Amino acid sequence: MTTDLAVLAEDLTKFYGAHRGIEGLHLEVTTGEIMGFLGPNGAGKTTTIRLLLDFLRPTRGHATVLGLDPRRDKALLHRRIGYLPGELTFPGRERAADLLRFFGDARGGVSWSHVTDLAARLNLDLSRPVHAMSKGNKQKVGLVQAFMHQPALLVLDEPTSGLDPLMQQEFLAMVREARAAGQTVFMSSHVLAEVQEVADRVAIVRDGRLAAVERVESLGRRAVRTVEIHFADPVGPQEFAALPGVKDVTVSGPVLKCTMDGRLDPLIKAAARHEVIDLLSTEPDLEETFLSFYYHAEGAGDAAAPAGA
Amino acid sequence: MLLPPLVHKSWRDDRRAILGWAAGVTLFTLIYGGFYSQFKGAAELKQQALSKGMLDFFGVTDLVSPAGYLQASIFSLLGPLLTLFCAITLMARTIPRPEEDGGMELLLTVPLSRTRFAWQRLAAAGAVATGVSALPGIVLLIVVPVTGMDIAMSYVTAASAGLVALTWCFGGIAFLVGAVSGRRATVLAVTGALAAATYMAHVISGMAGGWHWLRWISPFHYFIGTDPLHTGWHPAHLSALVAVGVGTTIAGVILFDRRDVGV
Ligand SMILES: Nc1ncnc2c1ncn2[C@@H]1O[C@H](COP(=O)(O)OP(=O)(O)OP(=O)(O)O)[C@@H](O)[C@H]1O
Ligand SMILES: [Mg+2]
Repeated sequence: MTTDLAVLAEDLTKFYGAHRGIEGLHLEVTTGEIMGFLGPNGAGKTTTIRLLLDFLRPTRGHATVLGLDPRRDKALLHRRIGYLPGELTFPGRERAADLLRFFGDARGGVSWSHVTDLAARLNLDLSRPVHAMSKGNKQKVGLVQAFMHQPALLVLDEPTSGLDPLMQQEFLAMVREARAAGQTVFMSSHVLAEVQEVADRVAIVRDGRLAAVERVESLGRRAVRTVEIHFADPVGPQEFAALPGVKDVTVSGPVLKCTMDGRLDPLIKAAARHEVIDLLSTEPDLEETFLSFYYHAEGAGDAAAPAGA
Repeated sequence: MLLPPLVHKSWRDDRRAILGWAAGVTLFTLIYGGFYSQFKGAAELKQQALSKGMLDFFGVTDLVSPAGYLQASIFSLLGPLLTLFCAITLMARTIPRPEEDGGMELLLTVPLSRTRFAWQRLAAAGAVATGVSALPGIVLLIVVPVTGMDIAMSYVTAASAGLVALTWCFGGIAFLVGAVSGRRATVLAVTGALAAATYMAHVISGMAGGWHWLRWISPFHYFIGTDPLHTGWHPAHLSALVAVGVGTTIAGVILFDRRDVGV
């Protein structure tokens, strides 16, 4: 019954004293999918991940990971999980190769050629001591460590932090290959764009609570673009403000700025009644619209999951 | 011999400290033990110069006989000070250090239950602490015959075994404090204060008549209060020390299994 779920959180709650880490989290990650886990700083992403890995014990509720109990079955579970900590610190001062050999041995033997392949992909020099590496290279060691034993579930806390754009793309390719190989990926991030590129679904937490779980395809439809039109002569805002989907109209002389939710057609038709000099329509910025909607939805209060609103 | 990778890793991370302690304690025993004949004359003077109270404080009954000399130089204060400090700092590295510096999260990805993890970290540190605290005894096995000290070897081994037992006792306490608190400073402060206080209790119980009972609460009494260098083995006393070490260790493992890590 829960076997097709890689992660199941039921009312998962963690309080640090009186301080809320995460509260009442219900979450299901299906086996073989990539789930993004988004939220602003302090939302409770790392707390949730540490609960799943049994570093923290829930105040209330329960998690099931790969069908196992994180505490009772910790040994078995960690053999099948690859974990990248969000606050990455390596034990010891040895060379990357020696550290990775240790992890490989401890996890029951890992093919070394697989490790060197991963390192080569990420352009990582394994002969250097980890503590002397740059932030991005440390992050790569962390990634190799998480992927090296081809775990059934990858739990990655802010995996792209510190990686340059080229390496971020390489990482996303690794994640896609993991899914193709049947592995499940649960990755936290602040950036929707990167998650959106690979994830099947995203879960969004805000202020210690789950705000929404959405399929990534359905996010695109909510896309809002900003449009800027330069006219030959000054225009009035009222004739545009009433158009369907148009919001936040500001006019300064002959320049009109607004945001557009949905198809551009009505706006273009209305603008055509004037002489148009220039038209700028910026890419749908999910970051700005979607995230700000969930992150700072003061008006929405704690009414969770306003999906389809 | 196939050691668990985590034990191997713990030793590799601590190898400088391990070598430093081993070299230091060996050198200390060699120097103090080896120069018995040179010190003997000076010791006679020193004994006359120091008051009875001072001698008691340093746990010294006489400085001239081999037993008195070894007790004064190695077993009463400096030896335990070194081996306990070694054991306490090693125990502070088992759980508190990685927990404080953040390396713990990756160490805990090693597929072991929490209790096994704790046992393996403890085994790695405990083996080193045992080895270092056994070093004075091992070195004396050579030094005593070479310098021609007139003392039964079994008495020396009894005192040396006591040093190991004392180290286990405080090592266990240090592990417990670290397993519960996850803080190095707490381990050093609590265990250090406990060692100092119980040492004082041992001293006071020997000096003032009314305080005689105090010795029963001091591990130092079970170690050296029985005067092993003159009277040999006292298995019951040593067992008491080992029991404290084992008990605190088990408690540490159980409590570590029950708490949040890295909070
Ligand atoms: N060890 C701790 N002790 C007390 N409070 C904590 C502790 N760790 C986290 N918290 C609190 O729990 C809340 C959630 O923190 P968490 O680290 O899970 O957030 P996050 O989503 O991972 O944030 P970020 O994006 O900054 O990594 C925060 O309010 C934080 O202050
Ligand atoms: Mg975090």
